[in-house]
Amino acid sequence: MLLEFKDISYKYPGSINDVFKNLTCRISSPGFHALFGPSGVGKTTLAKMMTGGVKGFSGQISTSGIRHILYTYNLERLPGWSSVRDHLQSTTPDSGQNKIDDLVNAFGLAKCMQSRFAQLSLGQQNRTNLARYLLQDFDLLIMDESLANVDEVTKENIILTMKTIFPERCFLYISHSVVEVAKFCRQILVLRGQQKSPQTVTLRGQDHADGKAHIKRDLEQTMLEIVNAA
Amino acid sequence: MLHRRIYQFFIIYFLGIATLFLVKYVLNLSDYVIPGPAEIWQTGQSVFTRYSFNVLNTLSVAILGHLLSICLATLVGIIGRLTLWIGSFIRAAAYNIQAYPIVAVAPIIFILLGDGLSSRLLITSMICYFPLLLSFIGILSEPVTEIEHFYEVTLRMNWRLQVKIRAFENINKITTVIVGSGTLAMVGTIVSEFIAANAGIGHSIRMALYQSDLAKILVALFLIGICTSLYLVCLEGLGQFVQKRLQGKESS
Repeated sequence: MLLEFKDISYKYPGSINDVFKNLTCRISSPGFHALFGPSGVGKTTLAKMMTGGVKGFSGQISTSGIRHILYTYNLERLPGWSSVRDHLQSTTPDSGQNKIDDLVNAFGLAKCMQSRFAQLSLGQQNRTNLARYLLQDFDLLIMDESLANVDEVTKENIILTMKTIFPERCFLYISHSVVEVAKFCRQILVLRGQQKSPQTVTLRGQDHADGKAHIKRDLEQTMLEIVNAA
Repeated sequence: MLHRRIYQFFIIYFLGIATLFLVKYVLNLSDYVIPGPAEIWQTGQSVFTRYSFNVLNTLSVAILGHLLSICLATLVGIIGRLTLWIGSFIRAAAYNIQAYPIVAVAPIIFILLGDGLSSRLLITSMICYFPLLLSFIGILSEPVTEIEHFYEVTLRMNWRLQVKIRAFENINKITTVIVGSGTLAMVGTIVSEFIAANAGIGHSIRMALYQSDLAKILVALFLIGICTSLYLVCLEGLGQFVQKRLQGKESS
């Protein structure tokens, strides 16, 4: 077990409805996992519970081998007073400095390095933001729609690169794309809303990695399972 | 920018003069109440140099007082952004004190400090300090979550970085507030000189008022308007320069 939620119950302050009621699920190994579900079901809330951003819930979140959890979301911005390169260099710890160029190239950001953040497109902004988080020291990175506004080909390159460069780290990818989740993730935690029981269903994804072929029929089967579960 | 401000001032000034002349001729008022154009012109020629130096004197005190209030408002704004009791106390105090007319305190300052430079400087600073403070507290207390989040989760956040982020994100607002308070600085200095000081254009206006010499007052108002416009244009230019440098617009 790497990360386990046990009997989590939570209501938003001032609300009478439960967001979670006795929610229980687990992630058992490092790799690229997904948190999937319809809008408003509590994906971001659950992610923030892991980082301490949401308190006042009952139940237990236990981790093993995970000391440093980072949470990133797609609306984040870099300060505009320096170029993207200067910012990446100044915020990357010494241990990650040698990875900057690799990530920049893999993320297709080489041409943006001299620009200010505000001069980038939305997709470039999200890629830059994700790159700076990947250069930090972390055991678990929660990516809340971090690849929004990125085209499919680049998105696939980015995810495959992440899996290659950081095989021992754990990623929790929050996305609304059934295809992405089914194709790239190892475990898929499907949040279903508190009116359904059980509130989460854990499915096995295709965990597509660089150099590993995937079978179209299996992918379609996983996608169908996700849609049915949600 | 400069010509626009000067045009605007000329339009307002000459509309005011025209209204005075209209009142004078419609009501058939004597030159003693409202002087004619020739008398205003002659007065202008005789007092122009002296009044110009007086306005420059006033402007220099206004600039000093303005700088002082910007520094003070920044300092108090930085403390006031804190979520501790001291931050709450400063915010509450600032909102309450700013509701009090500072000009009413001016006589006390003159009694305590005399009619010299220190009193003018203090009153100027106080008059433009509170509007600046309220804006600075508002700006520095408002988190920029989408930028600050990264520094917080990676444990890099400190008070200097927080202030830098919030100030940078609101640089347009800060520039506007500083430019706006430039007028207040001039007003504060003139008011303090008018009340009791022994120098500056406000003092000259007080003397002219004692002599019931409207021509001198009109000349003083003209020079005040020109100098204030120049000062505001300088502030706007400086603000734009700083914004461009910080946002890297020169390279784009």
